[in-house]
Order: sequence, then C-alpha cells, then structure tokens
Amino acid sequence: MKWIGALLVILTCFFTGMDYSRRLAQRPKALRLWKNALLILEAEMVYSHATVQNACENIAKQIGDPLSGFFLSVSKRLQYEKTDLYLIWEEEVDQFWTRAALSKEDKEIIKQFGKTLGQHDIIQQKKYIQLAIVHLENKHKESIEMNQRYGKVSGSLGLLSGVFIALLLL
Amino acid sequence: MEVIYSLLPDQMAKDIQNYIHSHSFTPQEIRLRINRPIEINSGSDIHWITHQRLSQQEAKYILNRISEHSIYRLEEELRQGYITIKGGHRIGISGSVIVENGSVKAIKHISSFNIRISNEVVGISKQYLPLLYDNRYMNTLVIGPPQSGKTTLLKDLARFTSSGWKELPAQKTGVVDERSEICASLNGIPQESSGLRIDVLDHCPKSEGMMMFVRSMSPEVIIVDEIGSEKDVQAILEVINAGVTIMCSVHGRSYEEIRRRPALSSLIDQKVFSRMLVLSNTCQAGEVIEVLDCDGNKIAQRGRGVY
Repeated sequence: MKWIGALLVILTCFFTGMDYSRRLAQRPKALRLWKNALLILEAEMVYSHATVQNACENIAKQIGDPLSGFFLSVSKRLQYEKTDLYLIWEEEVDQFWTRAALSKEDKEIIKQFGKTLGQHDIIQQKKYIQLAIVHLENKHKESIEMNQRYGKVSGSLGLLSGVFIALLLL
Repeated sequence: MEVIYSLLPDQMAKDIQNYIHSHSFTPQEIRLRINRPIEINSGSDIHWITHQRLSQQEAKYILNRISEHSIYRLEEELRQGYITIKGGHRIGISGSVIVENGSVKAIKHISSFNIRISNEVVGISKQYLPLLYDNRYMNTLVIGPPQSGKTTLLKDLARFTSSGWKELPAQKTGVVDERSEICASLNGIPQESSGLRIDVLDHCPKSEGMMMFVRSMSPEVIIVDEIGSEKDVQAILEVINAGVTIMCSVHGRSYEEIRRRPALSSLIDQKVFSRMLVLSNTCQAGEVIEVLDCDGNKIAQRGRGVY
C-alpha cells in the first residue's frame, strides 16, 4: 500500500514537471504566432483599409490553430452582436488564455492592445500595433531564454522532487 | 430605416421607432446632440423626444457602430464632416476639429450627429425629362438650397437617363459618386434600382472621376453631385468639350445667386448649361419650382407652364 502511494506521488510530480516544461517550450511558438497575427492585422488595416471584422476573418484564414479559432470567433461575434469591440475582445482573450501556454503578462499586452483596436486614425493605429509587437518581441526573447534555462531541467526536477517527497513520507 | 436603427443604442432606437410610428410621419433628419434631447425633422415639423438624452458614451458607441469598430477607415469622412452609410443615408458630424497646416485634419470629440434619411422617390424627375432632351440630353444644372432634394432628383435623373423612358433612349451614364449618395453603392456595386446602363465611380473625387470616365468608359451622360470648386469647373469644361453631357447639382437658392459665385460664374457666362432646374426647400423634396434655359429665362414654372 505504502509503495503504491509513493509511486503515485512520484508520478504526479513527474508529470507536473513535464507539463511545465511543455508549456515553457510552447510559449515561444505561441508568442511568435501572435506576432504574426498582429503583422497581418497591420497590413489589413493600414494598406487595405479592411474593417476589424474583415481583418479578423482574413487572419483566421491565414494563421494556424489555435489562434485562427480566436480570430474567427471575434469576427463572428462582431458580425452578429451589438456590443463594444473591446468587450468581445476581452471575453475572447480570457477564454483563449484558459487553453494557451502563455503567461498573465502576455495576456495583459493583448488586452491592452484590444483597447486601442479600431479607435484611432491610421497612423496612431499603426503605432499601437507596432507597440504591441515590440512588447511581444521582448516576451518572445524572454520565453526562449526561460525555455533554454528551465525546459530540460524541469522534467527531471519534477521526478526528483517526487522521489524526495516520497522518501520523506515513507 | 432599419439600417439607421441598427446603428443606435437599442433603447434609443426603440424610442425613436415608437415615436415615429405613433405620430406617423416620414422623418427627413434625426439629430442627436450630446446632453440634448433627440430632434426629428420631417421637413415641415420639428419633433422632440425629451426623455432621452445622448450621453458621451452613446456618442462613442454610435461612431463605433457607423465605422464597424474601425475608426481608421473614416479618416477621409471625418475630414469632410459626413459619413455615408448603407442605403445612401448620410450622417453629418460636428465636434472639435483638429487642424494641421491650416486645413482640417479630422473631427475629434464628436458632439452632434445629423442623420439624414434618404427617402427614395422613384419618378420625380419624369415630368421634367422631356424638357431636358433635344436629340440628346442637355447639360443640366440642378440648383437648390440644402434639404431641397438635389441629390434625390439627380438620383432619379440617373435612373431614367440610364434606362430610358418612353421615347427617350437609354444612354450610357457615368456617375461620379464622391459621397456614395447617388447610387448608394455597397462595395462598389450600385443598388438594384439604379438603372441599366449605369457605371459608378464610388467615393471618387469629382474632378478626377469625370476625367477618368471620359478617358475610359465612353459615357454619354456624366452625373455628379455638388460641384463648387475651381477644379470641378475645369473638369466640367473638359467633359463638355469631349462631347459628353453633364448633369450636376450645386448649392444655391437661385440663378442669380449662382451667377455671383466666382468659381461658377464662368460656367454660366459660357452658357454651358442649357437647362437649369431650381429647387426650393419649402416644397416637397425634389420638386422643381422653375426650369431655366442657358440665359436664365424661364421655360417652365411650377403650377403652370409646359409640364
């Protein structure tokens, strides 16, 4: 009985560690995807003067999952709902973040960006998109560093801490 | 009207709808001002909805709805001071203006909206058409003060010149629709009721549009709304010398008043327009009070005369 319990503790810790390392590895990819999405958004807005709704629809077509789902549902809701753009954006961001391997700070950047979306003239809008991209770029660099530093360690660290706790309890 | 209601906050749209329904009149303008009651004009009467006032928040909401949450698309419109929406309705705006290099760059902090409802009247120009045709359509100027139905009349003229009526032939008609009002195009495609042989340059600056048509679309009639600048006049002279008929409208109360305007006087002096239709805002929208020839002599008058 004791041994089964110890094994369970070790396994839990091991998988927690693995999950953490997986998230660390996914974050740079997700951030890069967001950056691409904003670049497309900029092109849509500044050069083809598309509405936010059309721009989101086009991004959804061009970009991979899971981000395409996010932009598609923003676009759908803009089409059918009679509410503020920011409310829709905020709700969709919240929902997206429950599944994404991204941090709270990343979320804040995207939310802040949503506040400026469609509220300014072209030049200002372009600046805000650039600003968000710069922020994301910084986060992207940081996430790569984090991944290099902790990515490989965290799996084994999980296993070791599991063994440690199990030994203490035995 | 549905298009307009969809732009307003739900409660306000409902109130306006109910009011118009219970008083049964055709609104021409809905005017919304921040912290003021809602004004509805029916041309002859002014109606007020006093229990509702437009808040700053709502004004922002309306602007967002008009632009489909994309204010960056309205740059040109905000500079001009009006926005044309689906269905050809026009929304005038005023507020505090941002100036750059001495010219208006944009309107910020919008404080009033004037929603001008375009009521489509088919056939108002029919009775004047024979007066405008003599082997070919004649160059025509529509003169009228604001709200007299100049655009409505031009819209109708465009319909009949492009699809023909009785013995009058259908001619290739080019419409330079700078404000998207004449044909109320959506994504560049004119509305169904616009006529058969119609080509539209949507949102195109008038003077350039006229020249583009002459060069590329070989039109027989060109229709433009609200001319007034030197450039427009230059373009009109070019068009006429290219053998194309021009029909256009201009702000003003009478022939004499137009004659005094510096940019336009040259057109009048050169007797460019063989027919002038004078409108008034005291009559029904689009009703012509007198028809003049190129020298300003009356050919027909409302109530008596030929038509």
